[in-house]
Amino acid sequence: MLRSGLAGAATAGILLDGRRDAFADDTLAEVKKRGELVIATEMQFAPFDMSDNGTYKGLDRDLIDAVGKALGVKVKYLDLPWTSILPGLEAKKFDLCVAPVTITKERMKRYLFTVPIADATAALLKRAKDASIKKPEDIAGKTVGGQKGTAQLAQLKAFAAKLPKPVEIKEYVDNNQSYADLAAGRIDASVNSFPNLAYAAAQRSDTFAVVTPPFGQPTYFSWVGRMSDKTLIDAINVAIIKTESDGTMEKIQKQWLGQTMSLPKTVPEPTI
Amino acid sequence: MPLQAFFNSFGYFAQAAGVTVAVSLAGIAIGFIIGIAVCIARVSGGRWLGGLGAVYVSVFRGVPLLVQLLFIYYFLAELGLDVPALVAAVGGLALASAAYQAEILRGALNAVPRGQEEAAIAFGFSPLDTWWRILLPQALRISVPPLINEFILLLKASSLVSVVGIAELTRVSMNVASSTYRPLEAYVGGGLFYLVINLGLAALGNLAERRLAAGSGP
Repeated sequence: MLRSGLAGAATAGILLDGRRDAFADDTLAEVKKRGELVIATEMQFAPFDMSDNGTYKGLDRDLIDAVGKALGVKVKYLDLPWTSILPGLEAKKFDLCVAPVTITKERMKRYLFTVPIADATAALLKRAKDASIKKPEDIAGKTVGGQKGTAQLAQLKAFAAKLPKPVEIKEYVDNNQSYADLAAGRIDASVNSFPNLAYAAAQRSDTFAVVTPPFGQPTYFSWVGRMSDKTLIDAINVAIIKTESDGTMEKIQKQWLGQTMSLPKTVPEPTI
Repeated sequence: MPLQAFFNSFGYFAQAAGVTVAVSLAGIAIGFIIGIAVCIARVSGGRWLGGLGAVYVSVFRGVPLLVQLLFIYYFLAELGLDVPALVAAVGGLALASAAYQAEILRGALNAVPRGQEEAAIAFGFSPLDTWWRILLPQALRISVPPLINEFILLLKASSLVSVVGIAELTRVSMNVASSTYRPLEAYVGGGLFYLVINLGLAALGNLAERRLAAGSGP
């Protein structure tokens, strides 16, 4: 990250970049011209995005690399906190956000979604030794944590409202704090998408277990771009669908999710 | 093994600590130069320059550093001024730190007895020589402890530069915590690095204090 920052400082400098607007509506042409697609994500969302001793790894990395190959460009990765990714996208600091974003009605008004890259259905994580939770409904009367502003937390609230006893919901800045409090016994379960939880439970099987089945409405993760970048998103969609037909997606899913799943080939109508 | 997540990623932590030190030192050094300028403007700049210096201190001390960084990196980009991440990080730290350093220096200057300036004039020192040889060296000596304080505060505040995408120590601790699901070990590791760096800064401060005191004489 420092190296790329230095290179940026050397080449770009602080100058008024008057050419920005000329390319405003054709990011795809600009990407091909510079031979580089700049993406941003938060590398704290295993198994999609993680920073393993400084190297970007995960499902998103492998998939965006395949997409870059299909487009004939190199991919440059930025690690930004989630709170500054969407502002950065709008300020044109990069071309695409590959942090998995759950497709919702509200978000579709503001951003252009790619076709789904993974399942995002909400599920629950519990302590491995906790025998009192066997199915999602068992959280009635207990405390559950989740990340603020996520679609999964919204689904948890809707699910909890229908239970016979009230559920106390604690909102965290990110999921990792929720997992930490779960391990420490301050909360009884954590909500997140099923793939995230399955990976967390596999990494620390002594501490965590997933409550099956997922309780939420079927939802999907996609990447997002700017509303004005339709040609870029169309090209990325073609590349993603190609990974599904040539077996690349299956290989990536097996490696990071431990199972394969078929995904819709179009942006689905959001249920939430 | 205790602290397994930390030792497995020791190189990653060390690299991030290097980034934290580099970004902070650059911010401190540039901030010091701006700070001296602002301090001189406030002390002897007359109505306009002095007023400008006072406004500078109010703004950069009054607005949270996080907001300043977001402004420099994202808001200026909307206006067409594309500031690279590293420039935004170092620049943000320097501008904010300069406000604090200017006030520390001003306080130290005020603590130098008036008689020193009068004596220098009586001995025929030019105004520049009076500043350079008489006032500044004495003010610097007085300001070493609060300046070291400010440097340590700035080093810790540098964790905020991760909002512009710089992988510094706190950010890396969070990355390790999230990929290993061992948050406690990752944060204890990051904390240890901060402690070592700041002990080093404090030691440098002690050294500077002794050196400057040796020049003071009876």
